[in-house]
Amino acid sequence: MRALSPQRAALAEGWPVLVTVTVVGLTFGIVARQSGLAPVEIVAMSLFVFAGASQFVMVQLLKDGVAWPLIAATVLLINLRHLLMAAALRPYFGRVSTVRRLVAAFFLTDEAFAMSIGWFRRGRTELAYYVTFAVTLFLLWNAATGIGIVLGPTIGEPRRLGVDFAITATFTAIVVLGVRRRSDVAVALAAALMASALAYVGASVIAVVAAGALAPLLVLLFPDLRDKAEVA
Amino acid sequence: MTWLAIASSAIVTYLVRALAFKTALPSALPRRAVRYLDALPAAILAALVGPAVLMPTGTLTRGSELIAAVVVIAVVARSRNLLAGVLAGVAVVALLRLVLPA
Repeated sequence: MRALSPQRAALAEGWPVLVTVTVVGLTFGIVARQSGLAPVEIVAMSLFVFAGASQFVMVQLLKDGVAWPLIAATVLLINLRHLLMAAALRPYFGRVSTVRRLVAAFFLTDEAFAMSIGWFRRGRTELAYYVTFAVTLFLLWNAATGIGIVLGPTIGEPRRLGVDFAITATFTAIVVLGVRRRSDVAVALAAALMASALAYVGASVIAVVAAGALAPLLVLLFPDLRDKAEVA
Repeated sequence: MTWLAIASSAIVTYLVRALAFKTALPSALPRRAVRYLDALPAAILAALVGPAVLMPTGTLTRGSELIAAVVVIAVVARSRNLLAGVLAGVAVVALLRLVLPA
């Protein structure tokens, strides 16, 4: 059988991820609309920030009345991981012009990173795989956000129906899915408890940034499993 | 205020993505820094979950959110399915709020 073109391979392998992203985008549109944000603000977030977890976090922080510099700082911390992803992808973009690399950077997401690294590690070099997957994800995310915005007001009173809990449940699920070792559990519990304690004493404005930045230091107390594996 | 938050968040998000794409990072970032950055996103998400579960409306929960969060963790840990966990959590919280008004 002939090998699939990079474009087709991206969609054939990536469709379950794309479906999930669409569902999360729909949820985002609904909860953002129900939090009281204007449709144009929600559309701008999906178009220009274009970062799933960050956008949910922004909705929550805006609802809590947190000042914009703290919101930007929180978003910066959340997205710092993209430095590592971009650095890992960078070698495969070596022969592309700077302008094209800067365009490709805009579409970088966790999902696009994961799918395209898998492609490159199989020895393939076509960047069309990354472009197809990353841009499709962008289009679906924005379409889903738009549909969610329209559906939002029809869902009904959010608190009674538990819809307001969807963001919290989504974050919880993402954290659980990301757990690979015991240190991940320790960091998550520490961050949750530290933020709750800060919020309890009235420091909810800095709770997320402070707990989010401090709790990951705990991983340094755990043995580095990768180093061990490399030594062995 | 909302627009400043959106604009500044869009800028920092893009700068982070573009920085390493434009000029290659020092390929050997200290291992400790890599581990810290690796743990950062989950920590921030957990930091948001904590207060939302324990103090959903600024005062201590009556228990609905805490029980629902435990259900989400159990469902996702078993099924590895994000959507199943979210739907279960929303359903449980809606039911419990009828019984334990916040």
